Amino acid sequence: MWIRFRKILLLVSITLVYVVADDFKEEIFIKPLPPTNLYVYFQFITQNEETSFEHSHLAPRSLGEIMSRYQVDELHLTLTEGQWRHNKWGYPILDASSGAELYAWFSPSVTDVDTHWRKLSATLSGLFCASLNFIDNFNTVTPQMAMWPMGAIKVNKNVTSQLRYATLPREIVCTENLTPWKKLLPCESSHGFAALLNSRMIHNTNYHSIGVHVRKICKVEDCSEINLEIKQTVALVYDLKIINSLDWSFRKLFGQGLPGPCPLSSSSKIYVDVSSNDTFPFKLNPLPDSVVLSQRGGSDTTLAIYNIIPTNHMINIGAEYGTKDKVLVTIPPPLTFNRYVLGYGKEFGGIVTEIKNNYWAPIDIVLLENAPWWLPIQLSSLRINGEAQSKLVKSLYYSPGRSRQKPYHLELLMRLPSKSTTTITIDFEFVFLKWQEYPPDANHGFYIGSALISANLPTARNYTSLPVTGSTMDSIINASKPWYPAIFRTNGAMVSLPTPDFSMPYNVICLACTVVALAFGPLHNICTKELVLKAVGSPISLRQKIMNLFKKKQD
Amino acid sequence: MACNPRNPRPATIFNNAHGQISVYGDDVEVDYRGYEVTVENFIRLLTGRVHHDTPRSKRLLTDEGSNILIYLTGHGGDGFLKFQDSEEVTSQELADALEQMYQKKRYNEIFFIIDTCQASSMYEKFYSPNILATASSLVGEDSLSHHVDYLIGVYIIDRYTYFVLEFLENVHPNSKNTMSEFLAVCPRSACLSTVGVRKDLFNRDPSKVPITDFFGSVRPVIITRKPIEILEIPKRKKQAPAENKTKIVEKMSYLPQFPVHLVQTT
Repeated sequence: MWIRFRKILLLVSITLVYVVADDFKEEIFIKPLPPTNLYVYFQFITQNEETSFEHSHLAPRSLGEIMSRYQVDELHLTLTEGQWRHNKWGYPILDASSGAELYAWFSPSVTDVDTHWRKLSATLSGLFCASLNFIDNFNTVTPQMAMWPMGAIKVNKNVTSQLRYATLPREIVCTENLTPWKKLLPCESSHGFAALLNSRMIHNTNYHSIGVHVRKICKVEDCSEINLEIKQTVALVYDLKIINSLDWSFRKLFGQGLPGPCPLSSSSKIYVDVSSNDTFPFKLNPLPDSVVLSQRGGSDTTLAIYNIIPTNHMINIGAEYGTKDKVLVTIPPPLTFNRYVLGYGKEFGGIVTEIKNNYWAPIDIVLLENAPWWLPIQLSSLRINGEAQSKLVKSLYYSPGRSRQKPYHLELLMRLPSKSTTTITIDFEFVFLKWQEYPPDANHGFYIGSALISANLPTARNYTSLPVTGSTMDSIINASKPWYPAIFRTNGAMVSLPTPDFSMPYNVICLACTVVALAFGPLHNICTKELVLKAVGSPISLRQKIMNLFKKKQD
Repeated sequence: MACNPRNPRPATIFNNAHGQISVYGDDVEVDYRGYEVTVENFIRLLTGRVHHDTPRSKRLLTDEGSNILIYLTGHGGDGFLKFQDSEEVTSQELADALEQMYQKKRYNEIFFIIDTCQASSMYEKFYSPNILATASSLVGEDSLSHHVDYLIGVYIIDRYTYFVLEFLENVHPNSKNTMSEFLAVCPRSACLSTVGVRKDLFNRDPSKVPITDFFGSVRPVIITRKPIEILEIPKRKKQAPAENKTKIVEKMSYLPQFPVHLVQTT
């Protein structure tokens, strides 16, 4: 009996060790965005005990090998389709620019960051079936103020020089990106929350974004030991007006119910933000396991929490709205922004970024404008609220671009006064590309990536991001801090560059050949052949010839 | 392409206006897409002359034992196939690329299918051995489409591809179908164009070649009953034990997410 008990103990201890080594958690956060939208956010968190990837139980080895081979400290990759509407929807948990966005911090020991960066993007393009191999020096910037690592890093090291940031605003996101993304999960898409990610349903939404975020997190309080955290996220915004009913359920959203938790996960939870229940009453079905009130930075959030345990039936969580057809005035979040292109013609233009501070206190922001080399922006044309010199700018960084090598990069650290709108205008001129540099559909237009706005918000209104020390959704509960930093992406823009007539070379060749053929023949004849006058009439006799000779002499 | 904003049913491509078969499954992976689909990349992929940073999934990792299936469709003409509406690959370039592959021992056999107008002109220049080629139309003929999908406003599928897909839907890894059945899949009455076949480079009789040699990714397995002696077990290199240095624990911490230090100084 005792031996048996010891055996069990041993088994228990082995499983305990196994559980401690790697940890996997899955979570869904659902937030109705009145009046008609619904935000669904999935996050899958894998924590790896070892930061080297010689052994991993749950963490994806393919990603780990990339991290260790290219000595990446922190990696963020998002593939997004659609535009997050900050003024209507509030702030997302993790913002992403539309198209592909990749940024990474390399280890301080890496000296040749650019080479590592190119290799990293090429490898990731293979892993995620995206065209990330188009990332090169000519579309990469090193943000100086806007971005800071979210993970734990060694103190007193220069992090900025190890950072690279690039976006591909035209990247289309589709099933081929989701498939390899799902393969990185320990349960893949067969079990757990990932089973809900049905390609047809999620690509039919107004906004969808998939992401992979790898960072180092402190294992203990004093950060003497670190873990590697791989967070895979999916953000979706449904437009319930299309379904013609505000009521939602898993079956309606994903085409099927939830089959249960992933057996390898240590926690499977679903959070529903029911704060909007006061203005837009709805009833959750089935009832949540618990309801928690979170007070964070002066704003109250009520969260309904479901703890998903294995069952033998499909779980179908849904909400039913009581009153319909209600007009709601949405209060805009503290900081909203808009971006658009100025100008007409094919010579000059300008980009305007409008940032609105709706809050009663000033807000500090960093604005990062990133223009491709074919759209030169000059610092001399920078105007803030129409003035060249502005007291709002606390710090400025400008790095001019170089043709075909480097993009234009402008960063402004500004203090936006309370209740104000700040307009930042910068002019650009259009550049002629070489004939072969135009894409096949040059007349479609050229995309400019979004500007980055890194804000230090004094209030947590509409703020849903996790605190930097937390990794699961429960870390937002009562997480009051003096500041709430967030990075937002404005909308992108599109310009039409002056495009040549692509059939022109053929026309020129045809015309030139005709002209040459017409001109060459006579000219050649004139140059090579001598014109000789030939006497007309009967041949001259010998006597006459002699007579002619004498005639000449007489002359 | 399936998630193009103009597709009213994102993430799907159907063979039929009624949406019978979604050819863009739930677990599809695409290696080259969008602007990456160029003649240069295609020829580089075939010949293996890719940049050394190219990931494995973007390489054709084949050797002299590999059977390769090449299927091309698009707008074509006598001796060329258009790529991206801006450039074209010619039949001579393609033939030379395949010869390079043969010389580099990058294939055992190639099955080449092309569905364009005047498609057979693309394989007429081939001169490397062990290639079986078929085309949806002969030189001088158009390759016609099957029917229009009014939802997207364009012709949805070519006739040849439609009947090939219909045939392949009934092929599974254990099928006994042969290549000659595949070559006869679209008679003139169905395709409205003559399906061209080129067998002279191919050493085997297509009526004896199982279709699974090229479709269904069935791998031939050779069973041996003889034990194989492995003389030496390659040993893993053990990492040199870390020298007994006093490990300096570098202090790590989270950074503030905003350049607060710049704001305070001003």
